[in-house]
Amino acid sequence: MNPELLSVVVFSIGMATISTILMLPPGIALAWLLARGSFPGRTVVETLVSLPLVLPPVATGLILLRLFGRRGFIGEWLDRFGIDLVFTWKAVILAMVVMGLPLLVRAARNGFEQVDSRYEQIAATLGASPMRVFFTISLPLAGRGVVAGSVLGFSRALGEFGATVMIAGMLPGTRTLSTSIYAYTQTGQDSQATVLLVAAATVAFAAVYISNRLSTTSV
Amino acid sequence: MYRSFILAALLLLVGCGRAQSPTTEVVVSAAISISEAMQQVAFDFEEATGLRVALNIGGSDTLATQLIAGASVDLFVSADLQQMTRVEVDGGILTASKVNLLSNQLVLVTHGDNPREFSGIGDLAESNIRLVAMGDPDAVPAGVYARQFLQVSGLWNAVRDKVVPTRNVRAVLAAVEAGNVDAGFVYRTDVSLVENMKIAVAIPVGKGPEIRYVAAAMANAPNESGARQLLDFLRSEGAMHIFEDYGFIALNGEVR
Repeated sequence: MNPELLSVVVFSIGMATISTILMLPPGIALAWLLARGSFPGRTVVETLVSLPLVLPPVATGLILLRLFGRRGFIGEWLDRFGIDLVFTWKAVILAMVVMGLPLLVRAARNGFEQVDSRYEQIAATLGASPMRVFFTISLPLAGRGVVAGSVLGFSRALGEFGATVMIAGMLPGTRTLSTSIYAYTQTGQDSQATVLLVAAATVAFAAVYISNRLSTTSV
Repeated sequence: MYRSFILAALLLLVGCGRAQSPTTEVVVSAAISISEAMQQVAFDFEEATGLRVALNIGGSDTLATQLIAGASVDLFVSADLQQMTRVEVDGGILTASKVNLLSNQLVLVTHGDNPREFSGIGDLAESNIRLVAMGDPDAVPAGVYARQFLQVSGLWNAVRDKVVPTRNVRAVLAAVEAGNVDAGFVYRTDVSLVENMKIAVAIPVGKGPEIRYVAAAMANAPNESGARQLLDFLRSEGAMHIFEDYGFIALNGEVR
């Protein structure tokens, strides 16, 4: 593999890894809230989180662009601090996090739902704070769901195309596996595209394989 | 986990590398169909001026949408006037800087193994031509051009039911290559993208629709002088030679 292609593969895996790490705190919090909490607007939150799964990725990208562009609601505010997201690696991460989060939340939520709430109640009656209950009982018991969700979120981030192409563009510093494959096929460089395709398929296969193993094997 | 953090940290550093000072970098949004030629021209420009070119490629419609949302770009090279106009109406470009850069030629291609010889574009109306691929005749520039040409030639009603609309020109080539359609409309510059493609009919440049690649500097360009320098360079003889090597037709004129 030539250095240019290799750098695309390394960049994509790196970006997807950072995105997955960034997804975890909000993802786990949302998953726990949806599994355990009953609060007004719960269904609304649930639907909003799942929206990027059902919307065409390009539409999600367009929404992000409208929000984070220099003329966008959030972009305008960021611009005052000299931060411009669009066309940078930060935009790649933003697209990956938004697209990967729903999958993480779904799997992690299943994990939390399978935790017998009596354990949590017993720990609480023994004097453990809610935080302590969460970190010593709920999270470890839901661990498999969280890990499986992270792997799914990672795979989704790695394969993300539509939103990335909108908000991060296809610049030398923002080209991911997916956008490079597209660019190479569009310009007739099929052999380059094939190399990246094999790399993408290998990583995705490994990730989904791990996820399946984790969700089917019993403790 | 430890390793991924190291990787993350490394990548953060790599990522920051792109944040050059605005006076030495020229950010160009260019249509994907001219990206290869642009890369070569950009390289020569970098050699000549010491400025750095960051090339953002994509479909002209995507590029225009990004610009309207306020993406920081210095120069826009669109594959059709309509997308440039979208940005212009929004106040995005320096109108005085807008130039017709290049043109292209519409051609009808068939598979190289197809023994059929076309006597002219009128053959498309014959019953043994069942399917003809083209970019979506309502949206994709190459398809719009093909439809306009067929309408002017009085063939559209005979051909319309044979049309297989595609998302882009590349998909037309794929359909012809796979043998699923009898012929397809593409640009001359696309023919060489795929092996074993034969030009059945070349639409004469004067008779076909006017195909234009338009370039303009952006109104909010962080590096306006860089944009103007590159715009002049794109119109230089050296750059035009490169574009012509890729099959484009040099226009190099003001927009009427």
